Amino acid sequence: MTAQPRKNADRAPMLVYKDVRKRYGSFTALDGVSLHVNPGEVVCLIGPSGSGKSTLLRCTNGLETLDGGEVLFEGKPLPKSDVEMRGVRQRMGMVFQNFELFPHKTALENVATGLITVKKMPADEANRRAMALMAKVGLSDKTANYPSNLSGGQQQRVAIARALAMEPHVMLFDEPTSALDPETVGEVLNVMRQLALEGMTMIVVTHEMSFARRVASWVVVFEKGKLLEEGPPTQIFDAPLKERTRDFLSHLGWDG
Amino acid sequence: MNLDWSIVWSSRWLLLEGAALTVLLTALTMLISVPGGILLALMRGSRFKPVSLFATGFVELFRNLPLLLLVYWAFYVMPVLTGLALSPFVTGLTALCLNVSAYNSETFRSGIASIRKGQGEAGLALGMSRAQVFGEIILPQAWRRVLPVLASTWVSLFKDTSLVSVIAVGELAHTAMQIRSQSFRVLEMLTAMAAIYWLMGYPQAKLVDWIHRKYGVRE
Ligand SMILES: Nc1ncnc2c1ncn2[C@@H]1O[C@H](COP(=O)(O)OP(=O)(O)O)[C@@H](O)[C@H]1O
Ligand SMILES: [Mg+2]
Repeated sequence: MTAQPRKNADRAPMLVYKDVRKRYGSFTALDGVSLHVNPGEVVCLIGPSGSGKSTLLRCTNGLETLDGGEVLFEGKPLPKSDVEMRGVRQRMGMVFQNFELFPHKTALENVATGLITVKKMPADEANRRAMALMAKVGLSDKTANYPSNLSGGQQQRVAIARALAMEPHVMLFDEPTSALDPETVGEVLNVMRQLALEGMTMIVVTHEMSFARRVASWVVVFEKGKLLEEGPPTQIFDAPLKERTRDFLSHLGWDG
Repeated sequence: MNLDWSIVWSSRWLLLEGAALTVLLTALTMLISVPGGILLALMRGSRFKPVSLFATGFVELFRNLPLLLLVYWAFYVMPVLTGLALSPFVTGLTALCLNVSAYNSETFRSGIASIRKGQGEAGLALGMSRAQVFGEIILPQAWRRVLPVLASTWVSLFKDTSLVSVIAVGELAHTAMQIRSQSFRVLEMLTAMAAIYWLMGYPQAKLVDWIHRKYGVRE
């Protein structure tokens, strides 16, 4: 129906998922998911809890292995070897629901650690880079704090800076604001919106429908390990093709 | 009863030497058994079955044998097995290390298991290798959690080193027993020995209490 072209559809896709399958024992978490992400797109994954959204992200950077299908990143299938996978992971940033900052490192050290251990950057240069990223997420005054002395929103912004430090080509966000107090959700979403404006390719699993509505260029609805529906936000939020998309959204209190 | 405490004073240098050896034995055992315990814990978690089976067997064997038996075993059996003539000190040290490494391995294993899975995943997601994840993220956090347990192990070990006196390692217990049997001053020497162990052990125990308070309950 809506024939508006998808963002950067003329460019080679950053990520392609072909019939991706993932099982946990006898439970099928991903049941043949096909999907692609163009460079510069913000793709929001929405859908009921347990529908496989996190699993898809984790299959993207190899935290889980596939049971079927394939994932192409920048045109190449995800490598099998550990060493090559590490190279791929450096080009994918990941932000977790529970932040997963390293509690024994200061905020600045958290941001610099990937540069130092993985990229073998000299410490002073890494710290300079980390400093700039802390400024970017608005936390220049918190560099010496340990995670336990930061609010949830601040921790998540440090976690975003930590991922950005590796200069990823795509950022994967897994419910980045779900564990936050309501008053700190906005500061994290603002950082993410800023990233989107700068043209970062992003996949965002979220329950923040107004964020998805305003920032996403493409929205994918999951249900029981399958794609229920995908389309631009106007389609998903204003005129969903599937009745169950409408049900899911109204369940969240979204009334279009 | 006729007590002659002068025997303690006249043996002071011998006793001091024995005490020094006790401390040395404790320190060396711990110095070897901490890395040993980490290595065994890692081996137990290995995805390579023979490695994890070997480590499990090692730990379950040496953790569940009486230390005294282990000391005798090392003294009589090890030379036959290895063909080496080891000094009593090295033999005693080996027995202690086998036992304490097995203990420490369990300590580290539970310490490592107590770190959230997401921590390692966050490291992997940055592109770290498994070894980097362990060294940079898991071990430093596990370390804080196991420190109180390691400290307790140290204090028991300090006392348990006395068991190697049975194979004539000249540490404090053996030295005191030697003096006793030469001078027949049984009560004096046993009392002196108890006093020296207590004077050295009590501050250590207090230090451990402090470590427990400082690091014990976190998060
Ligand atoms: N490691 C695991 N072992 C077993 N089941 C899992 C595991 N991880 C996820 N699952 C299951 O897979 C399903 C999809 O999970 P997930 O991708 O986390 O869903 P979502 O992120 O959409 O809420 C859930 O039912 C979950 O219980
Ligand atoms: Mg999830």
